[in-house]
Amino acid sequence: MTDYLVPDHVRVRQEDFGLLFYDTRSTRLTFVRSGDRLVPPPFVGDHRTLRAAGAAPDAALSRVLTGLVEKGLLLALPAE
Amino acid sequence: MPSRLSDTPPQRLSTSPLRAPVNVTWEITEACNLDCAHCLSAELRAERRGELDFEQCRALLDELARMQVFQVNFGGGEPFLRHDFLDILRYAHRLGITTCVSTNGTVLNDGLVDDLLAIGAEHPAAPVYLQVSLDGAKPETNDAIRGAGTFGRILRGVELLARRQYPDFSLNMVVTRLNAAEVGEFDRLARSYGAKTRLSRFRPSGGGCHTWDDYRLTREQLAELSAFLGDHTEILTGDSFFSLTPDSRRNLGLNMCGAAKMTCAVAPDGSVYPCAFLADPAFLSGNVIGESLWDIFKTSPIFKRFRDLEVASCKGCDRFSICHGGCPAVGYFLTESMGLPDPECLRAVEAGAGGREAAAPTKEGV
Repeated sequence: MTDYLVPDHVRVRQEDFGLLFYDTRSTRLTFVRSGDRLVPPPFVGDHRTLRAAGAAPDAALSRVLTGLVEKGLLLALPAE
Repeated sequence: MPSRLSDTPPQRLSTSPLRAPVNVTWEITEACNLDCAHCLSAELRAERRGELDFEQCRALLDELARMQVFQVNFGGGEPFLRHDFLDILRYAHRLGITTCVSTNGTVLNDGLVDDLLAIGAEHPAAPVYLQVSLDGAKPETNDAIRGAGTFGRILRGVELLARRQYPDFSLNMVVTRLNAAEVGEFDRLARSYGAKTRLSRFRPSGGGCHTWDDYRLTREQLAELSAFLGDHTEILTGDSFFSLTPDSRRNLGLNMCGAAKMTCAVAPDGSVYPCAFLADPAFLSGNVIGESLWDIFKTSPIFKRFRDLEVASCKGCDRFSICHGGCPAVGYFLTESMGLPDPECLRAVEAGAGGREAAAPTKEGV
């Protein structure tokens, strides 16, 4: 199981379709159709963990999370 | 603002409104020390409707933070002429909001740059982007638009930013018939200062209504600009040329008008419009004094009208998916009608319509 952190330079908010990411360093947006399966952390503040709602992410959602890590919009941390 | 779509087809955006704007353009002051011929805010400034006071500004920023608006684009007037602007800027960054300040560059000095660098250092996760307006690569070109002697004054500000190694600034040119031939030279000039190049579209709104016939691009210039932007995908456009740009820029920005969907605009007196280019009485949607911007965004009939707007006559076009009919503001201010195709779209240009030589009716002529 992996934990995902939202880096300081990234903002993320919930939309009807899922999550909307904004990278403050590039001002680029990334739309992720995740519905309500991913719960973003508060807009700002020290708590930066993105969590999956309910059960552990399925294969499709895991691929989305991996893609977000590759784009630098999430940091993957081994769960303690 | 550049945007990149992931996992969601572009057309989904137009049918699924966001809960809040991604960015808000906020004309923070009427004050300005220049009198540019194409000023978007000229008519609003002439009306002298007043400005929000500091507490009202702070309340609006609190609401923008609650709405989770990512970025505020401050304009004016000249924002740095407002005496409490730096306090407003500091407060925005304290709330985690990224900002971009559009300035004419003439009031930049060492002390001001010190302050801006300090805000950026204190809030590295939310940069203060600076966008300096310059309307040509040559003094005579810029000065014909922005006023005598302004080229040198603006470049002194730009040189200061370069010398102080300001990390995030761009030079912005509104592309008109007067300066279109200089876009390449302008790009090289910006690079020489370590700045990004940003090209913006000239629209017949605000003061642009009065200079449209003289400043609008010719068909040939529109075609050349389209090709130039296609060859220079690193150049920023503020998403303003989606009706014109080729496929090479398809994934670089919005593929449709973002008014009332991705963005909205607040005038100095708190009036709210779907977009800064639609700051016209016909589109006045509310005022943040006494009204919630979030409520206006969600419930304004004018905003809903923009979200539902479809340019039906463009649906059969092969570029519809990357243009969606173009900028409604251009069509509106030329014809006083909504839902008509952008007269400067690439297909119109290729077909010999659009551009200066076309017999498009002006607002005065309708």
